[in-house]
Amino acid sequence: MLLELRGIRKRFGGVVALQQGHLAVEAGQVHLLVGENGAGKSTLVKIAAGMLAADSGEMIWRGRRVRFQRPADAAAEGIAMVHQESLLAPHLSVAENIFLGREPRLPLGLVSRRRMQEAAARLIEEHRFPLRPEWCVERLNPAGKQLVEICRAIQHGSSLLIFDEPTSALSEAESAEVFRIVRRLRERGMGVIYITHRLEELHALGDRLTILRDGATVYSGPVGELTIEQIIRHMVGREVTAIYQRTPRPPGEELLRVEGLTRKPVLHSISFVLHAGEILGLAGLVGAGRTELCRALFGLDPVEEGRVWVEGRPVRIRSPRQAVQAGLALIPEDRQRNGLAPRLPLGWNLTSAALELVSRFGFLRAAEERRQWDDYIRRLRIRAESPRQLAGRLSGGNQQKAVMAKWLLRRARVFLFDEPTRGIDVGAKAEVFQLMDELAGAGAGILMVSSELPELVQVADRILVMRQGRLTAELGRGATQEEIMRYATLQKQGALWTGRDVAGHQEIP
Amino acid sequence: MIQRLLPFLTLIVLFVGLSLASPYFLTYTNLSSVVRQTAVINTMALGMTMIIIAGGIDLSVGAVLAFSGLLGTMAMEAGLPIPYAIAVGLLCGLFWGLANGLLITRLKINPFIVTLGTLGIARGVTLIISNGLPVHRIPREFSFLGEGNLLGVPFVLWLLAFCAGLTHLLLEHTRLGRYAFAIGSNPEAAYYTGIPVAFHTTAVYAYSGLLCGLAGMIEASRLMTGQPTAGQGYELQVIAAVVIGGGSLRGGEGSVLGTLIGAFIMGLLSNGSDLLGISPYLQQAIIGAVIILAVAVDELRKRKLG
Repeated sequence: MLLELRGIRKRFGGVVALQQGHLAVEAGQVHLLVGENGAGKSTLVKIAAGMLAADSGEMIWRGRRVRFQRPADAAAEGIAMVHQESLLAPHLSVAENIFLGREPRLPLGLVSRRRMQEAAARLIEEHRFPLRPEWCVERLNPAGKQLVEICRAIQHGSSLLIFDEPTSALSEAESAEVFRIVRRLRERGMGVIYITHRLEELHALGDRLTILRDGATVYSGPVGELTIEQIIRHMVGREVTAIYQRTPRPPGEELLRVEGLTRKPVLHSISFVLHAGEILGLAGLVGAGRTELCRALFGLDPVEEGRVWVEGRPVRIRSPRQAVQAGLALIPEDRQRNGLAPRLPLGWNLTSAALELVSRFGFLRAAEERRQWDDYIRRLRIRAESPRQLAGRLSGGNQQKAVMAKWLLRRARVFLFDEPTRGIDVGAKAEVFQLMDELAGAGAGILMVSSELPELVQVADRILVMRQGRLTAELGRGATQEEIMRYATLQKQGALWTGRDVAGHQEIP
Repeated sequence: MIQRLLPFLTLIVLFVGLSLASPYFLTYTNLSSVVRQTAVINTMALGMTMIIIAGGIDLSVGAVLAFSGLLGTMAMEAGLPIPYAIAVGLLCGLFWGLANGLLITRLKINPFIVTLGTLGIARGVTLIISNGLPVHRIPREFSFLGEGNLLGVPFVLWLLAFCAGLTHLLLEHTRLGRYAFAIGSNPEAAYYTGIPVAFHTTAVYAYSGLLCGLAGMIEASRLMTGQPTAGQGYELQVIAAVVIGGGSLRGGEGSVLGTLIGAFIMGLLSNGSDLLGISPYLQQAIIGAVIILAVAVDELRKRKLG
């Protein structure tokens, strides 16, 4: 046994990321790690790689107990991680990156460039990587960067390599290349932990499988023992923490129509309609393109093709300002960074999008502004000492309400919520849903991105599912978490695809 | 709270201390000369306050001052009536402010770099136009701007009060001011909110440029020359005044009152050193230490707030 993790627990503030994390990896084996967004996969491997410290539980490496304080400790033992987002020095060459921090030295501490180049060339040759030592890393595509990280791990003599969703940013051909290399590493007796969201990859790649759900290992065994359906069933069925019941109402007029929205490679021909009074869920795994869709609609990223109508009028949105003027509102995932000015008073944040409405000839009408602050703080039940309190000192739930209030004040009608309940405690979640329901009741249309399948199933009137930049399904009320997960993880091809469709649910070709 | 008031308390302590230490300090002549000396830095610091609140910086203020002063006095030399010549100076300042703002927002270059560049360009152009020689033939009445009195008070003090009031109004009671805070505090959130970031950033630099133009005319009036080398190193004093007054280079923080206090603290420090016979070399070191001290205290206060 190469590495064994037993009963790992890890909390972040009030949130339990892992409660019973088990994982056992043998040499010469590819160990797959799957689970929903937020199931604790990344936390578990970060603990193995020394990037996080576990609160409790034990880690056994080659038969002895270890505790890593820093990534360097894990690296010294031979554990290396290939990151989703590259951690390379972009301006240096492939060879320099492979040897970064371990350059072959000459007397006087000088670096031997020639020896470095030669050693890198030998390594690349041996593994038949499509790289050259002198290439500048900045110019490589994501797959190339991963290969450099793999080279670095091999060069450092690692015996366990961890891949955190390596193929989520890669094309099919690039993925095939990474698979080939992973299999080759296995033949050479290395252990591999491989996190993936693409369930159809599993059988082609792995030997053993561990499934995490809600921070606990729920299955561990040979990959071949479970069917895809069984794997999905293990992944979903997270505990429902905040039960929220919503009475659906008949949808009103069309508020937002999107046709053929394309931004390669993250969005491919996205088309859908959002009605007044409707909460439209948007499901998908990390990297499926959900946030990218919100960004493109809001004018933050340019699109290559596609048309958009708001309230029946065709619009061209190329900046957030134009989006706001068209009546759109974005409640971003990272509120502290993109939604609020944390060092400014709550009140200023509330009216920041709607200053035109509380000013005359450019001058602010203080009394009117103050009235709006009080009004919206009361209406959205924002708990703050006063409108003068700095926005950054509110709780996560109250910050979320402040962002919503900002857009209500601006009289927005189409709301794009990106992970509205992330980092919010259970009580505040129910309140946020209550407010979303009231919004919809008042005639707004809501597009809600969420990784929390139970929430989507409870709150959304319809659910769109994305996978790798494409819409793969539109599901009505009564959709199950298993169905969503199937559309979110599987390619519609070969024997893996069951093709079973519940009546009334439409599969998007 | 006590720490928030610290700049103000420092000013009072300095004032009282100097009154006790030197019999010449609390005289009309000395105080009005302090006011006249600090007026130029003070005027520019008002515009810089707005820029720093909006998360920017302007290193070109001293060069813009010289450019404006030179062209304003050249206009007088050419026979233009004084009010029009002053307008020429103001427009010159406005031009450079707009240039800074547009370069920063259109080319998306860091303001430090842009204004470092315009510092060089403005200074160079000033020297080329003047051939390095100062303009002397200026109507005597022009000295009123920098040296005259109105109702027994230096005219520049009235002017400063007006500019400070105007800047305060802009900052605290208009959309421009509120947007400046929003942009400086979190530019990304401001953009996501649909605030016209580029327009308002440019407006802030333009306003600051206008004040630099005015400062250039005051300086020219005080020296009664159009000096192509005027204002060298002023940018550091101006930034120091804002920072001592509580402005944060991270953006989103600062106030007109704080900046005025900051500028007067520096003015008193240099006046006091003169009166007490402290070497001008040591003066520079003292002011440098005060800048670091002021920011350190401010950081401690914020850290305590969490």
